[in-house]
Amino acid sequence: MGERIDSSWRDLLQSFEKGLELAIDQVQKRDVENIPGAKDALVQRLENMKLHFPRNNGDLFNKAVNEKIQNFFFPKTKNFSEAFSKILKSRTHEQDFIINELLNGFVTSKTKAIASGTQTPIIDRMVEAFSKRNDFHIVDHQFYAMFGDPNKPRHYIKNQLEELINMFGLVSKKLVVEKDVRRSEEKVYTFYTFPDDIIKILEEKYLVLDSKLGYAYVSENFDRNVFICMFLANIAINSDDIEKIGGSYTINGICAIFALVLLLSFMPKLSVDETNPILNDPGYDESNMSVIPKSWMMRQVLEPLFEPLIKIIAYRLGGGLWLSKVIDSEINKKIHNQIRFLLKDVNKWVLGELVRVEIPIFVEIANIFAEIVVGYDKE
Amino acid sequence: MSYTKKPTRKSGRKRDKWTDILPRYLTFISHMRPILRETRKIINDLDADLLIDTEIIDKIREEEEKRNIRKVRALSEFSAMYRSNVYEIIKDFIIKYRGTIPIIDIKDYIIEFLHESIGALYILRHITNPDQKNLDDTYLYSLSKYIEERLFPKGANLRMIYEKLLKFSNEYYECQRHLLQSHTYYREKLDVSDSFEIPGISPKIYQIINNITSLFNLDPSFGVFPERPDREIPMILKSEVFLPYIDSIANAEEESIENLAERIGMRLIDDLFLAPKEEFVSILEENNYLRTKKQSDGIIRYFPQFSNETLILHYLAFVSQRRGFLSKELINWVSMNFAFLIYMGILKWKLSDENIFYSIFKDLQTNEKILPYLMKLICFPNYLGLDKMKIRDSVQYRKEIFNFIGSQIDNLKELIDEVALFCEKFDKERKKK
Repeated sequence: MGERIDSSWRDLLQSFEKGLELAIDQVQKRDVENIPGAKDALVQRLENMKLHFPRNNGDLFNKAVNEKIQNFFFPKTKNFSEAFSKILKSRTHEQDFIINELLNGFVTSKTKAIASGTQTPIIDRMVEAFSKRNDFHIVDHQFYAMFGDPNKPRHYIKNQLEELINMFGLVSKKLVVEKDVRRSEEKVYTFYTFPDDIIKILEEKYLVLDSKLGYAYVSENFDRNVFICMFLANIAINSDDIEKIGGSYTINGICAIFALVLLLSFMPKLSVDETNPILNDPGYDESNMSVIPKSWMMRQVLEPLFEPLIKIIAYRLGGGLWLSKVIDSEINKKIHNQIRFLLKDVNKWVLGELVRVEIPIFVEIANIFAEIVVGYDKE
Repeated sequence: MSYTKKPTRKSGRKRDKWTDILPRYLTFISHMRPILRETRKIINDLDADLLIDTEIIDKIREEEEKRNIRKVRALSEFSAMYRSNVYEIIKDFIIKYRGTIPIIDIKDYIIEFLHESIGALYILRHITNPDQKNLDDTYLYSLSKYIEERLFPKGANLRMIYEKLLKFSNEYYECQRHLLQSHTYYREKLDVSDSFEIPGISPKIYQIINNITSLFNLDPSFGVFPERPDREIPMILKSEVFLPYIDSIANAEEESIENLAERIGMRLIDDLFLAPKEEFVSILEENNYLRTKKQSDGIIRYFPQFSNETLILHYLAFVSQRRGFLSKELINWVSMNFAFLIYMGILKWKLSDENIFYSIFKDLQTNEKILPYLMKLICFPNYLGLDKMKIRDSVQYRKEIFNFIGSQIDNLKELIDEVALFCEKFDKERKKK
């Protein structure tokens, strides 16, 4: 068994190496950079990656994926509230940035796939629904009113609601009214809320409990990222139960996003000439942005790196089970092409140069690589 | 006797004049203010110690409700709801703080909060002149022009509009982009063959525009500038833009690429390449989004260096210039955002952040009584000059768009703060006159 796992890992590392070779070849062939030395810097960085990544059985990946990405987004635990608390605590303003730009895009597309009839940003509406009440619950008929489609049978939206509830890990409580005021019939209301131990965690910052009035208000900090943290915590504790986390769709999507984060972190910063107009552009802030080689965004460079990296992330986060769920078809390659534009404003274009906004996760992953390269030089 | 069918008027089409819409806007506001004033008087006259017992508040409310003599059902229902909310909030405030704050201070706070709210309603009530004279002196005109200048400027030509947008894009780019991204995009048609209707930007269109920006920056081809043969302009393959899309998910967008290209300042060459139009080339050149380099054969080549906002702002400038041809969704979205910014700006100016009545102003039930008419007023020619007949009156639709008011973007909040500051400045200048 051990040998088999090692051989899978070895194969993955080798395919990444091959990808790097292809990428270097593509960069050498075409020069799209305007900044002198940018192409050389990128080639140098890719060469370094080729040299250092396979060392010590891919230790660099262990550090980048398991120590950083996993810690921030999928803590290793089987306890839901512990996972949620860790993800929530790793929230910083900058961290929210990446959650918003990348994961929110993914979760929104997933919720849309579930509640396809509605086509509206469901997480935002869920936040609204919780904010409008003072008991921190939402009721099923409130959901039907928000997302119901008069042209579809009720059971259709009921199933959608169930799926959404499972996806975010919410819990339900039933209230039976023996005689309803209008028709004197029995009526069952289902209330949905967060699990008790999650509510305790939320009380610190996101929830205001007013014991005198018996109200529970959401604070201004309560936002869509709370739901995304629930989604991530759900994945973290159920990583070995593919069905519970939404099947291969989720695995492929999540791994592709983090593959992109990893690649972005490893790209070298370029120093620009002081006369470069980008320095005077109001959209460029030298204190938290850096120019990186734009060839990185080229399909021909990204494609050979992306696929092995997705598999590496899948293997590191979910072992052979996740790896077996990564689909490497031609169609998926095209979808990966779409994902690179998911980055939207995380890395923006300023006067034709690719600019990386230096958020902590990029910096921390980039530091690992810098440390290793420096360490190697000393040896 | 012959039977002749009376011509039927479509409901919702009859009230389209300024003199029809303004009273509709004022109706609910003029019912809200007296309720707050009455309440303020009652609380003011009440011995502070009596406030400790909340049953007294309940009894006062019951008495007040008996006084309701309004004949119009919708109005009396709204007044009852409004009064009940006001008293409920006062009661909750007393219960919450009676153990920690002296009751006399609680009374003062309530009176102060009511005073602020009455002030806000006074401004909303006198937002404009019924006869539209001295427009410069009215809040509605000045505020809509202040916001228009930043997000949706008018100009003699596209270049001027683009320049104006660019001037504020550093501060308000996200708001400018937000103004194009209608949340009801799924109702939009990309291409209406028998009109020149311009829709908003859907998430997919936004992705495609991002795609186009990246392809221009990365590896464009170059071809002869049709209008100036001694120059070469950058161009990208149309097929490459749509390469990442599988299962025909971007078929509609691909089919209407010509329309989309026009909105972002591009054109199709030989039905294969996307390249900037002549007018846009000069705008791009002026703003450093194109740099020139003389080739060895003497031909000057334009190299693209686009920023994220380069093409989006063209879309917005195009929409602003052709504001008479906007889709129904976009008109509703733009006017709703303007109405929202004006309304929230006035509230931000007049109410302190801790005002307990903020929630009533932000409540959907209050919003839907004020904002739809404010939206229509803003559409009149002196203001935004949009087709107000396209403003929807359906309750369901209002709920749909107003639901998004809660999920506003940070940049919009910053603009609301600026609008509030502007209100204060404008008010001071007005008083000086």
